[in-house]
Formats: sequence, structure tokens, C-alpha cells
Amino acid sequence: MHSDPTDLIHRAQQGDRAAFEALYRAHAGRVYALCLRLTADAAQAEERTQDAFVRAWERLATYRGESAFSSWLYRLTVNEVLLGRRAERRREQRVVTTDDPAALERPRGADPASGSALDLERAVAALPPGAREVFVLHDVEGYRHEEIAALAGIAVGTSKAQLFRARRLLREALNR
Amino acid sequence: MTYPHMDAKLNEYVDGTLAARDRASVEAHLAECAECRAAIAELRSLSASATGLPKSIEPGRDLWPAIAARIRPRAMWNVQRFWRGALAAAAMLVLAVGIYRLFRVPRSDFRVGEGQGWAAVQADFERASDELSRILAVERERLRPETVVLLERNLAVIDTAIAESRAALARDPASAELRRFFAAAARQKVELLRWAARVAAS
Repeated sequence: MHSDPTDLIHRAQQGDRAAFEALYRAHAGRVYALCLRLTADAAQAEERTQDAFVRAWERLATYRGESAFSSWLYRLTVNEVLLGRRAERRREQRVVTTDDPAALERPRGADPASGSALDLERAVAALPPGAREVFVLHDVEGYRHEEIAALAGIAVGTSKAQLFRARRLLREALNR
Repeated sequence: MTYPHMDAKLNEYVDGTLAARDRASVEAHLAECAECRAAIAELRSLSASATGLPKSIEPGRDLWPAIAARIRPRAMWNVQRFWRGALAAAAMLVLAVGIYRLFRVPRSDFRVGEGQGWAAVQADFERASDELSRILAVERERLRPETVVLLERNLAVIDTAIAESRAALARDPASAELRRFFAAAARQKVELLRWAARVAAS
């Protein structure tokens, strides 16, 4: 099995499913963590992770190596999650879950001894969706407000307002 | 709790996005306000905790089998996309030829029901429109919902224009102006369908 990421990407672009599976294995945890934090719902996070990788397979030919593959993949994932949520909200077919403590009870990969991290995960999951998305993208993932605004289809000012609101709610929740 | 008007400034101060003048103003305030200093400490701690959260969380089950079942072999996919593109191009060509023929038919030869002129062009348009609609139906789910809404709204407007021009042409089949109106609406519809099919397949 090749482990060189560039070789894997090239082979996957040629239609090599085994290479694409290797890319999935390398990035699934990161993509799932992103989806889980953005949706705060384990079932939705699994769906969105699948959607993101299916979309990545379909769009792989458009990846030209101008940015890191991981950045390209995570941006595509964020897009899938935010688009999915906007479509759901419009169709009003599903109530958006704002809190699923069980989903974040014992996230694999997290330090089990880190109680404060777990408290923070739970508090983030309980945030209103808009504030949660901006907080996850800005403070956890390191996106800039301009990038978040473009991805979420909101104004930069709205992104900032949601972030400040999220931080205020988190501070209140963690200080209880 | 900090003053509401300070909340945004304190956040921007922590993020390092305040202008120099505002930064100096906040620092002057912080020197006198213990509550805001505590807020700054909390915000910094929160940001540090967020940055330190684990970047990777493994899903509760292996998602690859479900993904593998949904992805198509690349070669087959490319062939399908090629044929969809070719069909779209062919449909456009059929319509272009039809519209060209419509304008090239001498006025005296333009008769409804003779298999030439209007009837032939109408049939060409229907064929092109049906073919593109069929291609779009296959790829439709790949379009954003807001794009679908916009597409349907525009198609409804164009269809109304086509229906009106048809009705008018039925009353006055030799009118060059009505033929141009029909041709323009027909061309718009096929171009819109072709664009949507291309976007959905991209």
C-alpha cells in the first residue's frame, strides 16, 4: 500500500478506489470531528461525513494541488454541512438538533482525562446552530471571518456577532 | 459580566483585530476595570481550550462501506458525463438548425401543417427541450435547492412566453415578429436548460 499522499491523490484522481479509501482512512477522523461539532448530532455527522467523501470523489478532478489536500477536503466538508443545514431549514422537514450530549459523551480520540475539554464539547454542542457553526469554524478550526462569511452565505459582521454571542454563552455555561 | 458595549471590543481585542486607536482605548479601560480584565482572561482561556480540542474523532462505525457503495467507478462516470455533454450539444444543434430553417423559409412557403417551417421547427424545439430536460432530471439532485427554485421560476416565465407566442402564431402564422419572439423564447429555454445540465454535471 502506498502512503505518499500525492501519489494517493493522483491515483484516486485516475479512478483508483483503493487509493481513495486510503485517503478516507487518513482523513475520516478529522472530517467526522468537523461534522460532529458543526451538527452536534452523531447520526447527522455520519451522514455528512459520507456526503463529504462522496462529493470529494466526484470533485477530485478539480483538485489541482494549489492548497493542501486536507484544506481542500475540509473546506468541501464545511460546505456540505452548511449547505445541508440550510436546505433542511428551508424544507422544514427536520428539527435541527442543538444538543446531543450522548454524541459527545466519549468522543474517540479525545483525551478521556480531559474533563474541561469534555465540558467545552458539551457546551459547544448546546449552542444555537448559527453561533455554534461560527465558533467551531473560527475558534476550533481557525477560519477567518471572511472565509466563514463566504462559506455560510452571511455577512462578515454577522459572523463576528455570532462568534461573540457563542463565546458569551459558552462562558456563562462553563462558569455555572 | 462586562458592559454590553464593551463585549465586541473585548472580543476583537483578544482576536487581535482591533485598530491601533481602539486597542489603546481598550487597554486604558482595562487598566481601570477589573471586571473587563477578568473577561479578557476568560476569553483567552476559552480560545486556548477551543484550539486545543482534539482535531480528530473517529466515527462510531466504519463509514467506508456506505461511501464505497455510493461512488461510481471513475471511468464509467466520465463516459456517462461525456455522453450527457454530447447529447446536450446535439440537442442544441437540432434547435439551432431548426431556428435557422425557420428564418430561411421564404414567407410565401411558410405554412402551418406542411411539415416544413413552423411545424418542423416546433418539433425540433420539443425534441431539444425534452432531451435537455431528461438530462437535467438525472442530475437535478446535484444542484443547490436555491438554484432549482430559481431555475423553475425562470423556466415558468419562459414557458409562458413560449405558450403565448405559439397562441399568437396560431392566429398569425406568417408574422416574422412573432416567429422571432418564439425563436428567442425557445433559444432562452434551451440555453437555460443546457446551463443547468452543465452546472449539475460539473
